[in-house]
Amino acid sequence: MTKPKITTSSTAEYFAKNLQQVGFSSPTKAVLTTLKEAVDNALDACEVAGILPELNITIKKVGKGSGRNTDLVELIIEDNGPGLELEELPKVFGEYLASSKFGRGQCSRGQQGIGISASVTWAQLTNAKGVTVTSKTKRMRKAVKALINVNIKGNKGIIKKKSTIDWNKPHGVKVEFRIDGRVQLNGDGGLLTYLEGTTLVNPHLDINYKLLENDWVKIERVRSDIPKIPPATLPHPHTMKLGEFIGHAHLYDNTPLSSFLKKGFSRVTDQTIKAFVSAGLPKNVLKKRVIQLSQDQYKACFQAIQSTDLMNPSTQSVLTIGEANLAKSIARLGEVDFMSVVTRKPRICDFKPVVVEVALARFINRGDADEPVQLLRFANRVPLQFDKGGCAITQALETVNWRSYGVTQPKRSIPLGPYVFAISITSPFIKFKNASKETIDSSEELIEEIRRALMQAGQKLSRHIRREHKESQLEKKIAHIEKFGPILIDILGRIAKAPKSRTKKAEEGLAKLLGRDTRDAKKELEEAKTKLDVLKTKEAARRNS
Amino acid sequence: MTLLKIRKQTKNIPKIAKSLCDDMLQTLEQAKRPELQAIKCSLDNSIYSPSIGYLTPGKKKIRTELNVSSVQKLSRVVFFLELLLNNIDIGAVNTKRELYYRAKGLVRDNLKYGAIDFEDQNESDPIIEFICDMLEVYREELNCYANDRGGQTYSQALIVTEILPDGEKATIDLSSLGTTPFQPKNKPQSLKLKAKKKIDFCLILESEGTANTLASMGMTKRHNCILMGAAGVPSNAVRGWTKTIQEQLKVPIYFCGDLDAYTLQNIYRTLKAGSAASLIRNSDFSAPKVRFLGVLPEDVKKYDLDCYNVKKMDKGELRALKKAKDALANDPFFRDRRNKKLSDILRWLVKNKIRCEQQAFFSVDAKDPLCFEKIMIEKIKKKTFI
Repeated sequence: MTKPKITTSSTAEYFAKNLQQVGFSSPTKAVLTTLKEAVDNALDACEVAGILPELNITIKKVGKGSGRNTDLVELIIEDNGPGLELEELPKVFGEYLASSKFGRGQCSRGQQGIGISASVTWAQLTNAKGVTVTSKTKRMRKAVKALINVNIKGNKGIIKKKSTIDWNKPHGVKVEFRIDGRVQLNGDGGLLTYLEGTTLVNPHLDINYKLLENDWVKIERVRSDIPKIPPATLPHPHTMKLGEFIGHAHLYDNTPLSSFLKKGFSRVTDQTIKAFVSAGLPKNVLKKRVIQLSQDQYKACFQAIQSTDLMNPSTQSVLTIGEANLAKSIARLGEVDFMSVVTRKPRICDFKPVVVEVALARFINRGDADEPVQLLRFANRVPLQFDKGGCAITQALETVNWRSYGVTQPKRSIPLGPYVFAISITSPFIKFKNASKETIDSSEELIEEIRRALMQAGQKLSRHIRREHKESQLEKKIAHIEKFGPILIDILGRIAKAPKSRTKKAEEGLAKLLGRDTRDAKKELEEAKTKLDVLKTKEAARRNS
Repeated sequence: MTLLKIRKQTKNIPKIAKSLCDDMLQTLEQAKRPELQAIKCSLDNSIYSPSIGYLTPGKKKIRTELNVSSVQKLSRVVFFLELLLNNIDIGAVNTKRELYYRAKGLVRDNLKYGAIDFEDQNESDPIIEFICDMLEVYREELNCYANDRGGQTYSQALIVTEILPDGEKATIDLSSLGTTPFQPKNKPQSLKLKAKKKIDFCLILESEGTANTLASMGMTKRHNCILMGAAGVPSNAVRGWTKTIQEQLKVPIYFCGDLDAYTLQNIYRTLKAGSAASLIRNSDFSAPKVRFLGVLPEDVKKYDLDCYNVKKMDKGELRALKKAKDALANDPFFRDRRNKKLSDILRWLVKNKIRCEQQAFFSVDAKDPLCFEKIMIEKIKKKTFI
């Protein structure tokens, strides 16, 4: 028997064979994932460069796909970002794990540098052609246009058909994909749901899109400042495993251990180093350079750190959309009947800073009373559209008792009604369940934090619902008087064998009585309205401050 | 034609109703709020006195004052009142279900009354009950009859005479019915009972099936007795019939049912002293002399009867135990010291969380098909009852 040969594969080869792990498990998901990766990159690039983003998106079917039951779908995404230099194009579009954001501890949409390269791989596998990129930076007079392919064996991008063209844009990137896919517009995994979600959590975004045969949709920004991405924070020592700790240390090879601990981590001071020593870290090791430490010394140091209580990590690295922006942004999705918006203060969940934001809104002419609410989930401002059931956000939503806020809810399920529930989690270290970042892994602390945000928003929502209930009650009561009053007197008159003059007088008496009641009920309603208006004003003032 | 009556009623219902409506109209003429009052039929308004023997109403009333919220109810009350008065006037009778459909028909025929319409019988039944409580009369006195399930009765010594509305007499000799039970439905209080020979006792069994078994095996031939199957919670017909036997025959009456909280509270207590929901009817639908023959906790021990643990998952049984705790604290029947032995059984059941079915007596001597009958007779002779 011959011994099997052990071979090594490139990262690109691995992903080319396992594209389902990064969002290409079906033709429908392939279209959405490609759009998502291109939009994420565009928005991240604009934010880093301090540019207010403008996106133009067209998606159309241009023929039959190569696979069974698929169409050849063309996606063009154009942004006004800073643009990429020619030599950057193969790295960004053709090389896996080439990222400017990996492990930086910032709340950026993309993290690992997998997504867009996977989209190019999918295009190449299904249409034998990668992505056509047009790019222009500020300093370029003309734009460069090139076809980028992935060299799957070598995990490298290859430039093909390079040319320079005139482009009447000062800077930006345009990507054109032709891929096998199927277009789904509505529903949880729909393109429209994605675009609406992206619009909602990016109030500073100007977006124009044309999907298939539909007309162009233009949505203007409601915020004219660029969200400030908080600076990255140093890692907290309690969030690391021993291997990660040693890997991190090698970035500081020639630095003494004590300096490395202070410079390389957050929440480590001279005081805490003393505490490490009392927890078992040999004092003499502290002065040694990191490169000189043995495996045992690393382990001893790591163990001492783990057994010492440290301050929680800073929450300053977390980005929030803000209640005012969310409130303005949600109105871009349609005519809002009423809404409730909550931005929680940054909290530490599982040693990671997290912000939960919630917008609950009821739209006019959208949704159904008997259907589950439309749930929009976001992680670092990216819509999550698949595997709803396994997500921490859904789990938290289902454990809230919505009935107490006047919203119908089957037991331990997603509530029902014509509402949009948008829930956003922002954190530099979101723990996803898979590489395609479709669901947030749940932990007790995170679920509790989301629950709190939802309950806060639910309380605000219930004030509107209660007012509505009072209104409908009043209408009912007035209708009752008009309906039942005459019947009551009619029958009483017949049983008592009373003359008409008596029943007429009784009718007048009844009108007086019930008129009084109606006035009281109206007054009560007015009071409730006033109370609600005061609350609304207070809330608006708080949001704007 | 005069309908048979449950009791001698001196109340002139049409006159009371007319005066009530006249008062309401007059109050409205003065632009004041008319009010309807009815007896509060609940445990907190129930009084138990051993000398009376059944639950009687206290002073609490339910007052419904006219306002925007109650105008619908009041309109429905007078609407149904008129319908019932009309039935009394022409001697027509109806069940609640029939009245529900008649109301729907009347509403359909008169567009003006469209708002009154009842979506479900659940909406019309409480209105009829409110009228009864308000006038303090029985439903039957408003010519509204239930399709009550009568108590299946067997005897070789009982003759029942019914005087029909046209004056004709119908005489039923129960011994001539073979194994077919006599089952009086509505108004058993109007029947006349006569014993062919001295009747020693009347035995009421919770299980209709067991009553049938005993009769089939010849118990009524061996003993001068009346056997009756109550079939669970006694209906008005069963309650009225038991009361009639007690009043007219003056024989000892025994009840044998399961040893569990539900039987004690819902079956035996209702048969003996009535219920809180029927405070107005209890005087004619209770038989205070009925004794609890078993199953007693001491029987479980003495005969080594098979018991079941109350299943934690059985919501019905757990609810009955919870109700038993409430009854011990709030039910005037179980709180009365003369019923201490019964409340002791309830306490025992709450503590031990077990139940024993009446049919367990068949296990005492499994080879003898008459063992149940023998145990009953032995218990009566030895006076092991409460």
